[in-house]
Amino acid sequence: MGVDRVWRDFHRVPGIEAIRVNIAHSIQSIGFLTDFSESVLAYPIVLSIHLTCIALFGGMILATDLRLLGLSFKSLTITEMVTSLRPWKHAGGTIMVAMGLVLAASEAEKYALNPFFWAKMVILGLIGVHALIFRPIVYKKTEELDRCPVIPTRAKVAAILSLVLWTGMFVMGRLIAYWD
Amino acid sequence: MLLQNAIADALNSTEWVFALAECVHIGAFAVGIGSIALVDFRMLNLGLRREKAARILRYTEPWTVFALVFVVFSGLALFLSQAYIYRANPIFPIKMYLLAAALIYNFTVHRKVATMENPSPLMSKLVATVSLLLWVSIVFGGIFTGFLV
Repeated sequence: MGVDRVWRDFHRVPGIEAIRVNIAHSIQSIGFLTDFSESVLAYPIVLSIHLTCIALFGGMILATDLRLLGLSFKSLTITEMVTSLRPWKHAGGTIMVAMGLVLAASEAEKYALNPFFWAKMVILGLIGVHALIFRPIVYKKTEELDRCPVIPTRAKVAAILSLVLWTGMFVMGRLIAYWD
Repeated sequence: MLLQNAIADALNSTEWVFALAECVHIGAFAVGIGSIALVDFRMLNLGLRREKAARILRYTEPWTVFALVFVVFSGLALFLSQAYIYRANPIFPIKMYLLAAALIYNFTVHRKVATMENPSPLMSKLVATVSLLLWVSIVFGGIFTGFLV
């Protein structure tokens, strides 16, 4: 696989591998993370919380995106859809990311070498960029969108990109488990 | 040598199928539970308050049913691929009882109360809380089943 080769070549750059493995080793040696990954109960509980957040909070994202695309929830205003779910998305997203970071940090040495983990982090960064771009022109301007006779293109672009990025997060998250 | 390759191929392709079934299973339960949770959040008055729960249910129900069909069939495929392991698993039967309860509950009590014209707020909240607890417990059951395989 091409991507695979680039990834392995990248590791041959002198120093990179050593630096990364050292950092990763230091992270996962932090006391509480070692206790965490050695605990029979803590790891699956945190993973379950991570997945529960994906379901609850992913469902809200999907619903909001469908509304922005004009495909469903048409009797609700975009404003109602975006603002009433916002606090829950923020809370759910924060818990989801926090749990995900604990899961990754507890096995930092393994994750540091996993290309899908880094792909997932890049997508997470892109989701941040998406928020920076679309928050001021879509998510904070919902009343303006509701007044438009047709849903403006920028709202639909925001929704489609959101669907693509979150699907990417999901797929990369799964692929992390299958790479060795 | 040829035989060895054939066996390896078969194993590899099964592994691939298992991974795909897992992906479908997780993706579909996220959509299924997420869509049910939207109705629950409405019933708990936590969001989408400008619309009736019945209307939200009408929007989400096709997604719920579609997703749950995928969850059940991909789950069945995962089970059949390692049936002997799942049978010995102490958590798996609990998850199955919870699933049966949640499915029946969702399409009877939950549906009925969500579509009521004027349900008492207490009943709505109680029904939604039970729904969320049931579905979340099934997610936990699934993860713990995996960790004990």
